[in-house]
Amino acid sequence: MRLKQTLAALLIVSTTHVGFVQTAQAAMVGTEAVAQASQGAAARSADEARSQLNDAFARADVQARLQALGVDSRDASERVAALTDDEATRLAGEIDKAPAGGIIEVILFVFFVLLVTDILGFTKVFPFTRSIR
Amino acid sequence: MTAHPGRRRLLAAAGALALGGLAGCASLGAAGTAALRSAPPAGLPRRVELAATPFYPQEDFQCGPAALAMALGAAGLATPPEQLARQIFLPGRQGTLQVEMVTGARRNGALAVEIPGSLDALLRETAAGHPVVVLLNLGLSWAPSWHYAVVIGYDLDAAAFLLRSGPIERQVLPFETLERTWARGGNWAFVVLPPGKLAASAGETQTTTALVAFEKTAPPLRAATAYRSALERWPGSLTLAMGLGNSLYKAGALPEAETVFKNAARRHDAAAAWNNLANLLLERGRLREARDAAQKAVALGGPTLDTAQDTLRQIEARLTASASPRRKAPRDRAARR
Repeated sequence: MRLKQTLAALLIVSTTHVGFVQTAQAAMVGTEAVAQASQGAAARSADEARSQLNDAFARADVQARLQALGVDSRDASERVAALTDDEATRLAGEIDKAPAGGIIEVILFVFFVLLVTDILGFTKVFPFTRSIR
Repeated sequence: MTAHPGRRRLLAAAGALALGGLAGCASLGAAGTAALRSAPPAGLPRRVELAATPFYPQEDFQCGPAALAMALGAAGLATPPEQLARQIFLPGRQGTLQVEMVTGARRNGALAVEIPGSLDALLRETAAGHPVVVLLNLGLSWAPSWHYAVVIGYDLDAAAFLLRSGPIERQVLPFETLERTWARGGNWAFVVLPPGKLAASAGETQTTTALVAFEKTAPPLRAATAYRSALERWPGSLTLAMGLGNSLYKAGALPEAETVFKNAARRHDAAAAWNNLANLLLERGRLREARDAAQKAVALGGPTLDTAQDTLRQIEARLTASASPRRKAPRDRAARR
């Protein structure tokens, strides 16, 4: 229930925001549009409205997931604002499964494994090991 | 178990490979390392160490913020890891996502440029003075342990990279080990650069992507600096020229922006460039020139047609208003169709 409310509120805010930017600079073509056109994403203007809506959904989705994953709401909205459209779409699809780098113990584990492989003779990393082969 | 000694050794070997998979024999899938050994890239020093890269020991699962803080510090944009943690760390995943590593760099004033996933690129970037943030998978492909580290140099004679990694200030990692753990992380790496600098190994596409993203949040003059240096390297790029023009326009540097749009419009005959030139001329009160440019943009059509027609309408309205301020001009209505 609360998630739905948050989503709805966000959607309203982000779509009205998009509209505002559009009227303020209606007549200039932004660099992102030029880049997309040159990368072969033609017929963009026809899909413009739909993709803006998708974008707003993706952003609302990311914001909700960030908060669910322990980011406080103000930080989360700043983080969403820093994303490009492409990044927002990508993140919305993979926030729960994309690699999240953070491991620390494993570094010691690596040393241990290298030590073992050294002793077995597959590697020669440490000067003090003597291969059993 | 009364296994045959040879069989036992084989089992042990299989076990070790399955366990670590990190550093099996040199012939096992370390093609990049073999290539480096047989033919080291020309024109690079034998040994590089970017010793001035700051070191922030990692706390808990915060290798993302720590690695990014080191790279930002080396780029002259010192940012404390605690501040970065609020911007990019994801408590529920006990780590940091790749997308947010990149946005985190941008939010602190740097360009984040993804580089090709080759050992050669790592050598070239560090030799050019750019530490490289890499995503390593220190576990197995089916039981991953994702970790960010910063490559700060290499030693061709020792066949090893130098890294700032987690709690280790100076880790010497053999070429093979890095190649394998990096490949298991998708060979993903990026450099953090102050605006105006270019990555040594990244191509036009990767650089352009980084720049367009940077422009969205950066102060316009900084974005302009970044675009200008990239445009010098790839003068034939319409996107880079438009980015430079748009940034200058946003910064209020209208005469400079006009030159850029004009050159881009002539060189590429692109509707977007003619349209933006028309708007700028309109703003500067040069209505006839503005109308010529807008008409060219409309004639070229394409995805910017709606915007161009909008521009032309605005210009014609202004022309009518300035030509006959008191009465309505029927001529204008005809021109509008």
